[in-house]
Amino acid sequence: MAVAGTASQLTARSRRGVFGFGWNRLWLLVVPMTLFFIVFFVLPVLSMFALSLDKPAAGTVAAKGDFALTNFIRFFSQPLYYESIFRTVAISIASSVIAAVLGYPLAYLIAKTEHPGRNTFLMILVLASMQLDGVIRLYGLMVLLGDNGLINGSLIRWHVIGSPLPLMYNVFGVIVGDVQITLPFMVLSLIGVIRSIHPSLEEAARSLGASPGQTFRRVILPLSMPGILAGMLLVFALASSSYVVAALMGGWKVWVLPVHIFQQVSNGGHWQFGAAIATILFVVNISAIFVYQAVAARTSGGRI
Amino acid sequence: MSDAARLSWPIKIGAAMALIVLLLPVVIVVLAGLNAGDYLTFPPQGLSLRWVIAFIQSETFFDAYLFSLELAAITMVISTIIGTMASVYLARTRFGGAKAMRGLFMSPIVLPGIVLGIALYVFYVSTDIGLARTFTGLLIGHVLVTCPFVIATVTASLVGFDPSLEEAARSLGAGPLQAFRLVTLKIISPAVSAGSIFAFIISFGQFDLSLYLGAQNLTGLPYAMYISLRYKFEPTAAAAGIFAIVLVVLSMVLSSRLINLRKLVARA
Amino acid sequence: MDDRSKAKLNRRTILKGAVAAAASTSVFNINHAWSKDVLWDGKPFDAGGAQLHMAEWGGFWEESVRKYLLPDFEKDFNCKIAWDSSFPWFPKFAAGGPKNPPFALANWNLADMHKTARAGDYFLPLDDVLPNIPNAANLWDFAKVTGLGITWAYGRYTFGYRTDLIDAPIKTFKDFWRPSLVGKRATYVTVNELQMTFFLTACAVYGKDQYDTKAGYEAMKQLAPVKTSDFTGNMQALLERGEIQACVQWDGEMWAMEDRGVKTAQYIWEEQKPLLTQTRTISKYADPVQKKLAFALMDRTLDPKVFSKFAELFYLRPTCKNMDVTPKMTAKGITNTADSIKGFWIPDYQKYLDHSDEIEETVNGIFAG
Repeated sequence: MAVAGTASQLTARSRRGVFGFGWNRLWLLVVPMTLFFIVFFVLPVLSMFALSLDKPAAGTVAAKGDFALTNFIRFFSQPLYYESIFRTVAISIASSVIAAVLGYPLAYLIAKTEHPGRNTFLMILVLASMQLDGVIRLYGLMVLLGDNGLINGSLIRWHVIGSPLPLMYNVFGVIVGDVQITLPFMVLSLIGVIRSIHPSLEEAARSLGASPGQTFRRVILPLSMPGILAGMLLVFALASSSYVVAALMGGWKVWVLPVHIFQQVSNGGHWQFGAAIATILFVVNISAIFVYQAVAARTSGGRI
Repeated sequence: MSDAARLSWPIKIGAAMALIVLLLPVVIVVLAGLNAGDYLTFPPQGLSLRWVIAFIQSETFFDAYLFSLELAAITMVISTIIGTMASVYLARTRFGGAKAMRGLFMSPIVLPGIVLGIALYVFYVSTDIGLARTFTGLLIGHVLVTCPFVIATVTASLVGFDPSLEEAARSLGAGPLQAFRLVTLKIISPAVSAGSIFAFIISFGQFDLSLYLGAQNLTGLPYAMYISLRYKFEPTAAAAGIFAIVLVVLSMVLSSRLINLRKLVARA
Repeated sequence: MDDRSKAKLNRRTILKGAVAAAASTSVFNINHAWSKDVLWDGKPFDAGGAQLHMAEWGGFWEESVRKYLLPDFEKDFNCKIAWDSSFPWFPKFAAGGPKNPPFALANWNLADMHKTARAGDYFLPLDDVLPNIPNAANLWDFAKVTGLGITWAYGRYTFGYRTDLIDAPIKTFKDFWRPSLVGKRATYVTVNELQMTFFLTACAVYGKDQYDTKAGYEAMKQLAPVKTSDFTGNMQALLERGEIQACVQWDGEMWAMEDRGVKTAQYIWEEQKPLLTQTRTISKYADPVQKKLAFALMDRTLDPKVFSKFAELFYLRPTCKNMDVTPKMTAKGITNTADSIKGFWIPDYQKYLDHSDEIEETVNGIFAG
């Protein structure tokens, strides 16, 4: 409601053209970004799409324009390829749900910690885990989850299990890796949203007799929904596009779209087929945005 | 104390679990980097600084670390400037296409780095504009993937911004630019610095882009680690990780000091 | 050393102006017409600070080459080496096309080299390379068999295993399929040459010949579940951490592990004797100064004194008749004679590459389980 108010205020004032830069020159601000994106984003991505519609020719990069659906037909006629769409989506959804469930309490704790020193300390913990390079962090996870890793090794030594639990080299390992890598993003995108929920709302609910649990479920959680959804979209996007997590945690055996892309382009030089898979991954992620917008509209619609 | 006491135990347990997930691999890596043994093993065979020293002396890793720092710093500056400018426009314009524009500027987030890397590389090579395997070419990729983070944080702070403040400044005799600088920029500056920290961290940790845009002498730390671990599992890579953590701790402590100072000044 | 640097000084004064001019113009000239006339007479020259772009393995390999080979070379030829270890190189060649090679000199395993050569006219044919490399006169024939690159070192394919973990030593090729190793053995991703060779060897051992892909698929099926790795270095780490008990490797890597105290042993394949080669190509359309430097660096690599350092560090076997095997390897019974190289087998990678899409798709499916 507050947001809507500000927005209408904004437009009302802007019509009068009173603040900031003169209205007639405001667009200058966006020129550098627009030009940059058209030249270095739109054109390259479009040329990659065009390449996906070329006939396959190993080692050839430049688009020839000999229109053919060969690459897409190949993709959708082999389970090895088309099944990887579902695998990618499933892994990414699982990662985003788990990251939300794990990330929310931590974000809440940080948002409610007002002591500056303690707050900074918690932020350092989150950012430090993010700053430590993903590749090397995955090494840490591999030490933990491997067949002879800390978990399996100890359990076997204590005779809890006879043979190692399948903690990595499979879909489970990839999800753990994705959650580990994306959790900081989730936490950071939630902190701001939780902070912006006015404490008086919480107090009001409590004074009306709601238990802390009820207050959380009925007031805090619905108001956090935009942040949760945005964070989930971000995690989905990061998880669906990571080559290195799937490669290392999945032991090159979990075939998700980025692994196919890397193998086709880097090792095979099949630029056209690689571009086709990249296009499919792009479509998957764009669809995720539409789903996100639909869900976001429904949840916020229910709230207001 | 009071703020922590208010929180119920499910929140605390959940937060603790999240911290374990976040930090356990970090602890393992840090200990592995302080390993006294010859190889990247865990648990370490005694603690020593030999691999930290090896990292500083290693041409490959230390150069890659400095390269990442340099690239991330330049990326941060460019993304912050053009991202903030665009955010101000997006928050204030009444142009109908602004929403679509925002969508465009945000889309590198959902476009996989590996796809963007291929697309840019193909584009550089086929147009022959001399950017393939150059610093500028890599920088462009980094700016693309970091801009959305700047825009997201800065536009978010502008949404709640009350324009009457700036108007008030103008009515007190400030010019439009001055009013912007004195009022708007001041208010959005925490968001701008948050966005720029984001940009820095994203750029510093960027891996997928380097698969196609990197080159000899253009190798950042993540890629150098990946390459090196592919050839040999040595603790130098983990020691390099320690340096990356030290960097973020320092920058956080410094920036929180600055913010606290600002708060003190504001109170006075 | 002294003679060489004197020669360098004399030549430097004469050549400096001309070569420096050539080098500086070449920076702006991206497409170089291929000129057969770039020749090298085997003597040090002044490259005027030019950069030689080369693609080579990274990690300890790179550190050692930088330590033992490059400083002298850069000094003797007044040049700089730009090193790229971000394998694979094929897409980098492919992206620029033959006329715009990213590297003047590249080090390969054979399959990837063939893959690149099939995609275009990237490499200077060996007939044009060899006259420029005096030390190449000593090469065994198998080192020149591709006609595209010079094989300057090699190792043999092997199964490495942990003696402290495995139930019994591996004594034959088929031993690797033993049920007790299920889930505890590893090979490579399908695009890695080691997996290609392993597959072709399995075709030959289990089937009629190396072209019997049906037998190969069946063998891969019997192998699953199997772990996969993307690189020999990563494989070494898996073996060292005890994640696996046995793996496809090459002999040098296993000896290195053994000698630094990891409890390992190996079975060097006898049923078929494929080689993991280190083969260098020179790019046909590379800039003339770089090409000349590439000749010189290739020649230096084949220098027995320089080579023996790498052989010592990496347990590499020499490809020149006039080279001795290092003492460490003599101790393991390795020799370098006409007899010792008999029976070596270079699989038909060309034929493999004809069907690589199909083979890789099938084997990827099998490994994914």
